[in-house]
Amino acid sequence: MEQGFRASMNWLHTWSGVVLGGLLFAIFWMGTLAVFDREIDRWMAPMIRLPAAEKTFSLEMLRPLYEVAAAAKSPTFSVGLPTDRDAAIRVLWREQSGPVHRFVDPGTGAVLPDPGTLGGTRFIFPFHYMLHIRIQNIGYWLVGLAGMAMMALCVSGVIIHRKIFTDFFTFRPDRKPRRLTLDLHNVTGVLGLPFHFLITLSGLVIFWATYFPSSWQVTYNGDRQAFFTDAYGNVIPKRTGEPGGMASFDAMAAEARRLWDGSALRYVFVRNPGDAKSVMQIGRLDEGIVSSTYDAAYFDGPTGALISYRAGTAPVMSAQRFLSGFHFIQFRHWSLRWIYFGLGLAGCVLIATGYLFWLESRRKKHAQLGLRGVRIVEGLTIGSVTGMLIATVGFFVVNRLLPLGASALGQDRAALEVWTFYLVWLASFGHAWARPQRAWMEQCWTLAAMASAAVLLNWITTGDHLLRGLSYRHLWPVAGMDILLLVGAAIAAVAALRLSRLSRIAQVRNA
Amino acid sequence: MPEAMLLLAVFVAAYVGFAALAMSQDRHWHHVGGGRHCPRRTSLVLRCAGWALLFAALVLALVRDGASFGSLLWATVITVGALCVVATLSWRAHWLRPAARLLQHLG
Repeated sequence: MEQGFRASMNWLHTWSGVVLGGLLFAIFWMGTLAVFDREIDRWMAPMIRLPAAEKTFSLEMLRPLYEVAAAAKSPTFSVGLPTDRDAAIRVLWREQSGPVHRFVDPGTGAVLPDPGTLGGTRFIFPFHYMLHIRIQNIGYWLVGLAGMAMMALCVSGVIIHRKIFTDFFTFRPDRKPRRLTLDLHNVTGVLGLPFHFLITLSGLVIFWATYFPSSWQVTYNGDRQAFFTDAYGNVIPKRTGEPGGMASFDAMAAEARRLWDGSALRYVFVRNPGDAKSVMQIGRLDEGIVSSTYDAAYFDGPTGALISYRAGTAPVMSAQRFLSGFHFIQFRHWSLRWIYFGLGLAGCVLIATGYLFWLESRRKKHAQLGLRGVRIVEGLTIGSVTGMLIATVGFFVVNRLLPLGASALGQDRAALEVWTFYLVWLASFGHAWARPQRAWMEQCWTLAAMASAAVLLNWITTGDHLLRGLSYRHLWPVAGMDILLLVGAAIAAVAALRLSRLSRIAQVRNA
Repeated sequence: MPEAMLLLAVFVAAYVGFAALAMSQDRHWHHVGGGRHCPRRTSLVLRCAGWALLFAALVLALVRDGASFGSLLWATVITVGALCVVATLSWRAHWLRPAARLLQHLG
């Protein structure tokens, strides 16, 4: 019985890993990068490399943009206010042609030129949770499936691990590849288990209303808006079509601050801008707690009168908000941010070594039996691991190569960057299947070269070289990214050198 | 500055704690230059010390960051500490040799 159960768990672990590992790696990798999404934005959009605003600024400087949004009959007008990580104001509204994103310098009130990139917050972060597949929410569901698989992998992995305590600290880098990859898989899996399990669970809990819709659909008769109004307390007015003014932004912001004892503000959000029934929602910035609260104050737009406000959450939602906050890390805690990044990378190692172990334990047998499985999965692994890394770095490189306002084949600059990412990723799979013997090594060299090129191009195109980046506080995110790119390049180069030495040894042996 | 010192203290407590737990196992005890088997009493002392240090790391983390951030910091830093112990045992096991020798003398 025991043997049968363990064997079936082993089967589950092996095959859900092989089938969904590539997807899981992409999600883990993008999530790890999303830890620094705003820092990546600063690297990719040089116009927002601004020093932190020194004095408090007037929100009235945003009124001209608000008028544009009102004239375009945009359903919403949203403003992300600067934080410790973000010096520029982010403004978003919707026009006939699509959403418009603008950065505003809080020091001068100037609207900054369009950076022409989706950057970290609009490409990498959404990729992490919905893969940019919007049709029928398929992206969310695929990520949800991968998340559930990850939980099953965590549990089944613990069950099939034969010597969990004896091997707790065991990694033998001098052993054969099969043993070495299994050691590394076990160590990152067991030691990282608390983090990996919780981060996956909390990721699923964030989208509970999507993944478990029956609960609210039954209670609210399928009325999603009514449910969200109750759960999150949003005030959602109906558009009248009558024009209406907007009271002083600053007066409402001051009132919101007063309600929360002087707490800083995270965002300003207007529903129905320019309408007689517009509502201004102002959100509180909570950098000091784990929980991702949604404290907000609602004002009647034309009069500026307070409609309602909220501080604190109902018990069930507060659990959901704590888990969300744990996952979103919008709090201000740099040590934890770096630890998340490191443990996220450990998760990537866990997934990659799982694949490598699968390959190493079947390589000989498949070669003897003439099976093609190893070759197919090896291509899948190379494309999912080094291919994903190369595509990401390619995204950074092309960002520094394209001039502002560039367009080709009817695609604007931001879309061209995204196309580059996907084409490079696709090409890496083709390369891996075409040249299985040398693909690992060649892709490692490519990665090393491209990561170094990204750093060099950043220097050439913006003048912010590493020393300059390190000497100004507001350029630290840029310098940090340069350093990580260089470290990544060095690791990739060392890996490539070792692989080429191994292949030379193998050639000599075979000769 | 005390913030940084406390963070370092949390990490060091977790690292030394896990190092003690690792050395209490025969395989690693042997690996860092102890005998073939870790003597029972030494193993017990190492285990108690290891758990006590992990607990100390929790207390330090709570002192530094309060209940919610502190527990989160502890839960993640101990993983980092444990991974560092694994790296030490794999590539720099001789760093732990003096500790093993000292314990042999005492035990």
